[in-house]
Amino acid sequence: MSELRDLVDELRARLAIARQGGSTTARERHVGRGKLLVRDRVDRLLDPGSPFLELSPLAATGMYDDAVPSAGIVTGIGRVAARECVVVANDATVKGGTYYPMTVKKHLRAQQVAFDNRLPCVYLVDSGGAYLPLQDEVFPDREHFGRIFFNQARLSEVGVPQVSAVMGSCTAGGAYVPAMSDETVIVKDQGTIFLGGPPLVKAATGEVVTAEELGGGDVHARRSGVVDHLAADDAEALAIVRSVIGTGERPRNPTLRPHEPEEPAVDPDGLHDVVPADPRVPYDVREVIRRVVDGSRLHEFKALYGQTLVCGFARVWGYPVAVLASNGILFSESALKGAHFIELANQRGVPLVFLQNISGFMVGREYETGGIAKDGATLVTAVACSVVPKFTVVIGGSFGAGNYGMCGRAYDPRFLWTWPNARISVMGGEQAAAVLATVRRDTLEATGGDWSTEDEEAFKRPIRSQYATQGSPWYATARLWDDGVIEPAETRRVLGLGLAAAAHAPLPSPRYGVFRM
Amino acid sequence: MTSLPARPFGTLLVANRGEIALRVIRACHASAVRSIAVYTAADRAAPHVLAADDAVRVESYLDGEAVVAAAVASGAEAVHPGYGFLSEHAAFARAVADAGLVFVGPPADVIEQMGRKDHARSVAVAAGVPCVPSHELSPSLGAPVRGDDDRPPPVAYPLLVKAAAGGGGKGMRVVRHAADLDEALAAGGREALASFGDDTLLVEQYVEHGRHVEVQVLADAHGSCLHLYERDCSTQRRHQKVLEEAPAPTISADLRTRLCEAAVALARAVGYVNAGTVEFLVAGEDFFFLEMNTRLQVEHPVTEMVCGLDLVGLQLLVAGGAPLPIGQDDVRVDGHAIEARVYAEDAFHGFLPQAGEAILVRWPAQARVDAALSSGQVVGTAYDPMLGKIVVHGRDRETARRALVAALDDTAILGLTTNVGFLRVLAAGAAFRDAAINTSWLDSATIDEPELDAHRVLAAWAVAAVLVMTDGDPHPFAPDGWRLGGPPTPVRVELDRPVLVDRVAGRVDDTPVEELRCAYHVVVLDLGGRLLQGVVNVTAHAVEVVHQGHRHVFVRPDVLADHATATADGDVVAPMPGTVLAVRVRAGETVLAGQPLGALEAMKMELALTAPFDGTVAAVGAAAGDQVPIGHVLFRVAPAPADLSAT
Repeated sequence: MSELRDLVDELRARLAIARQGGSTTARERHVGRGKLLVRDRVDRLLDPGSPFLELSPLAATGMYDDAVPSAGIVTGIGRVAARECVVVANDATVKGGTYYPMTVKKHLRAQQVAFDNRLPCVYLVDSGGAYLPLQDEVFPDREHFGRIFFNQARLSEVGVPQVSAVMGSCTAGGAYVPAMSDETVIVKDQGTIFLGGPPLVKAATGEVVTAEELGGGDVHARRSGVVDHLAADDAEALAIVRSVIGTGERPRNPTLRPHEPEEPAVDPDGLHDVVPADPRVPYDVREVIRRVVDGSRLHEFKALYGQTLVCGFARVWGYPVAVLASNGILFSESALKGAHFIELANQRGVPLVFLQNISGFMVGREYETGGIAKDGATLVTAVACSVVPKFTVVIGGSFGAGNYGMCGRAYDPRFLWTWPNARISVMGGEQAAAVLATVRRDTLEATGGDWSTEDEEAFKRPIRSQYATQGSPWYATARLWDDGVIEPAETRRVLGLGLAAAAHAPLPSPRYGVFRM
Repeated sequence: MTSLPARPFGTLLVANRGEIALRVIRACHASAVRSIAVYTAADRAAPHVLAADDAVRVESYLDGEAVVAAAVASGAEAVHPGYGFLSEHAAFARAVADAGLVFVGPPADVIEQMGRKDHARSVAVAAGVPCVPSHELSPSLGAPVRGDDDRPPPVAYPLLVKAAAGGGGKGMRVVRHAADLDEALAAGGREALASFGDDTLLVEQYVEHGRHVEVQVLADAHGSCLHLYERDCSTQRRHQKVLEEAPAPTISADLRTRLCEAAVALARAVGYVNAGTVEFLVAGEDFFFLEMNTRLQVEHPVTEMVCGLDLVGLQLLVAGGAPLPIGQDDVRVDGHAIEARVYAEDAFHGFLPQAGEAILVRWPAQARVDAALSSGQVVGTAYDPMLGKIVVHGRDRETARRALVAALDDTAILGLTTNVGFLRVLAAGAAFRDAAINTSWLDSATIDEPELDAHRVLAAWAVAAVLVMTDGDPHPFAPDGWRLGGPPTPVRVELDRPVLVDRVAGRVDDTPVEELRCAYHVVVLDLGGRLLQGVVNVTAHAVEVVHQGHRHVFVRPDVLADHATATADGDVVAPMPGTVLAVRVRAGETVLAGQPLGALEAMKMELALTAPFDGTVAAVGAAAGDQVPIGHVLFRVAPAPADLSAT
């Protein structure tokens, strides 16, 4: 078995654990109340058989003592009433569905996906609100809890439907999720909505009231008008949501139109064998491209120029795409070629697909003199100003400025996925250790000090270790630096789902900042 | 089948409809005879009309005058009556002859004579054919049995009361106790009068556990009278035959000879010409004459298949005046044939007649099918509910029986319920296999409806498959249940219970399934090593499955359908301020959903206040005449326990 396959097995094992959600006790208690588990809710919400492109299912792994699998919230894209929708669903079996920092980040990311791609949002609410012990990391800042409701208002403003189903608690700030929605369902004798719960009410005014009397389904469906539909149980609530989504008109004029799809001529499963697990081992990235694109066909651009960046037009699931794939480090020529190609793609309205495996731009006197910084800036400008949807897959290393030029997270790709063999850091661990050791040695030697090889090694060891940990794709995906770690062989399907999800978003005319020539 | 001399006559009118009309038209084509159909308004586009060379509309198939007129007008030289309708009406046969046309059947006076059971009995007695002991209708008949006076010898029960003029079981009654006789005679008489215009009754000894064996006879006008051996039609329900076979499986060679000879003797005695059937009741080595049918029988194909003869062709030939081209020695029985009659009836639920559009009809390819039903046809209730006959032939009875089971398995009628599933259970069952069915068996036997497990799997699989089939061109969001880095999510198909179908992994719930075929409504699955097939039609609200001939319709539940009831609370409030006009219930009273509880007058309107669901009135919050504000709780209904369990 290849090493890449081992990593895929590790990915599957991690996903299987994350998908269980909370503890067995918590799940049993949840089901015992007649509630569906969060992923069952999602399954029942979606059209029968609909795929679900789950986003960042490994969020918060290795964080918070590993007590918040998937960050306690399931997000993703699936079809509801024949329309692609973003689903945001709290997992009440994980810390009562409360919002940890990563939960907030994941919720906001899902809303960003909905905004970028103009996808209706369905919120399946079952949450106790902010996780109070970490209130300073979830409440006050720009991209914290309040942003959820800001986003709801802005999404609704641009015509992206906001629909929620209250299937459990929905307390304090959380009460605004249903209240800010266009249309809201509540489950009778199960969902509750209130700004202050019974304990807070008692403390504040001395009034003694049950949760159901305070903010149950009957109160809100019959009296307060906070919700629009009263459901008997989870299944009915989900059916009502489906019906609500079905009342809307599906967008008529897609900005991306697929041709008839064609499977790759080369079996994508072979990716596990042709791609080395170690990103330092070079290989021809065309081996990857032909296992991803329709018919394994690539109309390559400037094949003989700037050869460390393979550029070419192809199709994925019938959607025309412009592929930029790392085939070594970036030189001036490859950066300029990439910028030219990105302009072509924007001119033609073709989405960009970056296959990122980059240890950076070439360094050294010759290259600095040659102006590699301005050529790199040209590529970065082109990437940043692109109006066509961008999709990034980190298929190996993602280091330094190469991350920028190849459309890293900061460059707002519609989606960014990572292979389990990926490494992400500002530079490699060895290089970082060497750079820091050189600086230290210079300082020590300047003051007449002495530094033994053993001491230097002891100095370097924790640096290497830190980079090894933080450069891991598990570390990255836990922190939402990507939208998920994917199996290499599923790249084509995942890209296809992303393209289909992006197909109805508006496509403005291209415009660029100043290119330094 | 034997080749026949061509063209006994040029044009023939078929005075019938359905499968038998098609059968006669087929014989016409084989003999190069032009066929004329008659049809009623309901049958304007019926298969027999389309199959015939020409067609004439009549008001009713029973309107003999109109049929004769149609025959004359269309230039027909002969009329074939089929079975039923006018086939045993002597007056019709006479009218045909009087119009100068040939009636394909016996002379009218023979029909008349054999049509009356009392007369037929006399003919049989005169011809030396054994008859069931009968009783004079006398005042003593119903008297209690006493041993010591000079009354006639006591009558042994059970008795059978039947209409002298009748047929088809009408007016027939089995009487088991003397006390019931008078009532049976009275009711039988009334029914006979209503059905046949003649209340003459016969009272015979009732032979229990007998078998129905009938002999096919065929006579020409030149003195030749043959028998084509016998058929056993013991599998019948209320005198309606269900399965028929040839030869009879339980009789000895000697009995067969005696039966056939008796039939020929009777036919000769009455001066029979053309095809006819002499029916007997067989008990052990004894047999008794029942009646003679002076027409082609529904079940004639089993005789055709074992004898290799075209009975209708021979009918036309004889009617045309030709001598029979074969002698008795030429008639041989080869193998075994069984016929199953397909009816539009719900055999597992009281045999109620069914009607509807047969949206999809598949007849078995490997059997002879005499039917007039194809996809898209509407089955009404105006005519006989028999849709067709499935006839199989095998080298022996067991081979034929297995072929019948296979043929019924391959039969699928969707859109309305038929008895095919029932026939399949019957044909596959031990009683029929062992030839242990007598004429009364089916009236008391319990035939269980098949389990629906197979139907459910087929239905669920088809629903999941249709999701993909109707999804258009391949696209990333195709309904294959894809999940990121994990196994696909099965499709949850809501039927009478939810079924999880994973077509990618090949599972239905926990059973491994391999799809062998799934196209054009036919689903063939390998279910854990067992072959499972069915014909399925999936619609938005239902899934209809025929498996082993048995049709079942799964209604797909709509979770939103009962939405209002499920979420309603029990409070009936004043929808606006007003005056209570009436209070119609008291606390503790049981109410049904929609039942008026009271009335409120508000804004010059009288508003009915109704129960939101079935339950009990828990509280009454106002009295007549009360002024109530908006939102005032007037009644509180507690749901019935059943309602609680449903939510």
